[in-house]
Amino acid sequence: MAIFHNLFYGFSVALQPDHILVCFVGVLLGTLIGVLPGIGPLGAIAILLPATFRMSPVSAIIMLAGIYYGAMYGGSITSILVNIPGEAATVVTCLDGHEMAKQGRAGPALGIAAFGSFFAGTLGIVGLMIFATPLAEFALKFGPPEYFGVIFLGMTLLMYLSRGSLLKGIMMAVFGLMLSFVGLDPIEGSPRLTFNLLQLWDGIGIVPLAMGLFGIAEILNNIEETAAPEVLKTKIKNIFPNLSDWMQSKWAILRGSILGFFLGILPGGGAIISSFVSYGLEKRISKEPEKFGRGAIQGVAGPESANNSATAGAFVPLFTLGIPSNVVMALLFGALTIHGMRPGPFLMANHPDLFWGVVSSMYIGNVMLLILNVPLIPLWVQVLKIPYKILFPLILLFCLIGAYSVRNSIFDVHLTIIFGIVGYLFRKFDYEAAPLVLAFVLGPLFESNLRQSLTLSRGNFSIFFTRPISAVSITLAIILLIIGFMPYLTKARQKFEEK
Amino acid sequence: MINRDQFSGLFWLAISIFVCVEAARVGIGSFSSQGPGFLPFCSGVILSAFSIILLIRNILRRPEKRNLKDLWQDMNWGKVIVVLILLFAYAFLLPRLGYLITTFGLIILLFGIVGRTRLWIKVVAGIITVLATYIVFYVWLEVQLPKGILGF
Repeated sequence: MAIFHNLFYGFSVALQPDHILVCFVGVLLGTLIGVLPGIGPLGAIAILLPATFRMSPVSAIIMLAGIYYGAMYGGSITSILVNIPGEAATVVTCLDGHEMAKQGRAGPALGIAAFGSFFAGTLGIVGLMIFATPLAEFALKFGPPEYFGVIFLGMTLLMYLSRGSLLKGIMMAVFGLMLSFVGLDPIEGSPRLTFNLLQLWDGIGIVPLAMGLFGIAEILNNIEETAAPEVLKTKIKNIFPNLSDWMQSKWAILRGSILGFFLGILPGGGAIISSFVSYGLEKRISKEPEKFGRGAIQGVAGPESANNSATAGAFVPLFTLGIPSNVVMALLFGALTIHGMRPGPFLMANHPDLFWGVVSSMYIGNVMLLILNVPLIPLWVQVLKIPYKILFPLILLFCLIGAYSVRNSIFDVHLTIIFGIVGYLFRKFDYEAAPLVLAFVLGPLFESNLRQSLTLSRGNFSIFFTRPISAVSITLAIILLIIGFMPYLTKARQKFEEK
Repeated sequence: MINRDQFSGLFWLAISIFVCVEAARVGIGSFSSQGPGFLPFCSGVILSAFSIILLIRNILRRPEKRNLKDLWQDMNWGKVIVVLILLFAYAFLLPRLGYLITTFGLIILLFGIVGRTRLWIKVVAGIITVLATYIVFYVWLEVQLPKGILGF
């Protein structure tokens, strides 16, 4: 009963005219950003974060959340029509979605993606409501060792599940931690790694870092490419899936929704992992696995549902534990901090309007997205045709001015460009920026909880293994690292034995 | 020729050594009473260890055939350099010439990077972009954009 009471309270917050407006702006921008290849929800949230400074915290998070799950909807359109994922979580949709489009079934592909996303998003929000309160109460038992353990596990999971090399993922995370140490020591107040620059005493801002690594780096990589993507020339008809499409997709949608939600909760999980796992699962249990990759509708329904419910699941650890489970949540964590909110178990108690308002707005946002996406697909197709030479200068300008607006600092503009170069080089040398950003955002928490724990235990590391929650978290993290490195050790041993 | 993993391994090793030296300078402290440099030093040691592992792995494995030059083969890397020069010039001139003039110049020059565009289209697009962004950032979002020599 308490859940319904809180939900009605949330709707009273979400249905205020200004909150409906920012929700609409968020989902519209999110869909647009998802449709346009070149900038994903991460870059968009980084770019639009300064725009939320004049808003209330509730409005800011409603809008940024709308961008996140809106981008999941929009990304599927380019995946299906252009065979280029609008954003990373819709990579898998290219496999069968584009094949369906080539067979003249772009409409049902787009339709099932939209309806599946709506169902999954709704289910994910229900899960968020059910799990958030008990998890927040559980989190009250957390002390510094427990927080350190969960943060360490979260960072390890993200490195373990990242697409590239585990070794490089760990190096990125460690480098992200290093960047978070730039500035004044939180206990003694003495400057460290500031290179005698006064502007670095406050540390490196998340906005220049994220905009540079994801916004500017993406542009630099895109203008370097010589080939331009082509939009599939096909008539989009019959957007509403027929009965056969529904019968084939219904269980894929349900499985994707549940799987996506729980993977979204896991630190290190998220929409990208959820979509890949869902596709793998559907192919494995299908009676006709040979159809996957050739236009199987389950290959669209499952992953699209999973990536949308994962966005709702990702809010659970952010709001209840104060630990972002993926990079986008890390940016939202930064946004909440900038607005003077401390994510964690006390957030729901101290700011119920924020939590329940955002949850309720997600219901409203999902309805808006269904309305925007299904009949407006031909419009989004036209958006795809906007020449890149017009888009990229605007994106660059928004990145630079957005970075400037945080502290009215030209230094931040220079920093954004430098991180743009760094992000561009990362892609060349096959390093992923996601572990870096997550570690950067978690760095201050990581340091404060570690130092407090060691101070409590007078320098004895056994404190992390004598308390159950931190012991389980750290042991799991170590096991994951060992499992991750096992293939390398096995190969090295085989080579040694052959010699 | 050096390949990308060898180069990046050496780069990260240099970074980690630098961070360790800086951390030692500000004071590492002890496990029970950590100094400001405690965690930077620890992260420097961990990064150096993984850099060395990366270098060793590169030696043990079949080395990547592509060297550094190949990363930019058949790529329009010249456009990247031009864009970066324009961005740094923009950041340098922004506080001196102000938002309006600098942004107008940047947009016109950037429109010419990818594909050909007629001059009058660039000028019109530049004016529209400058005015629209000025309204969004300065008027609506109240960002204190640099005024420069024009005074507004």
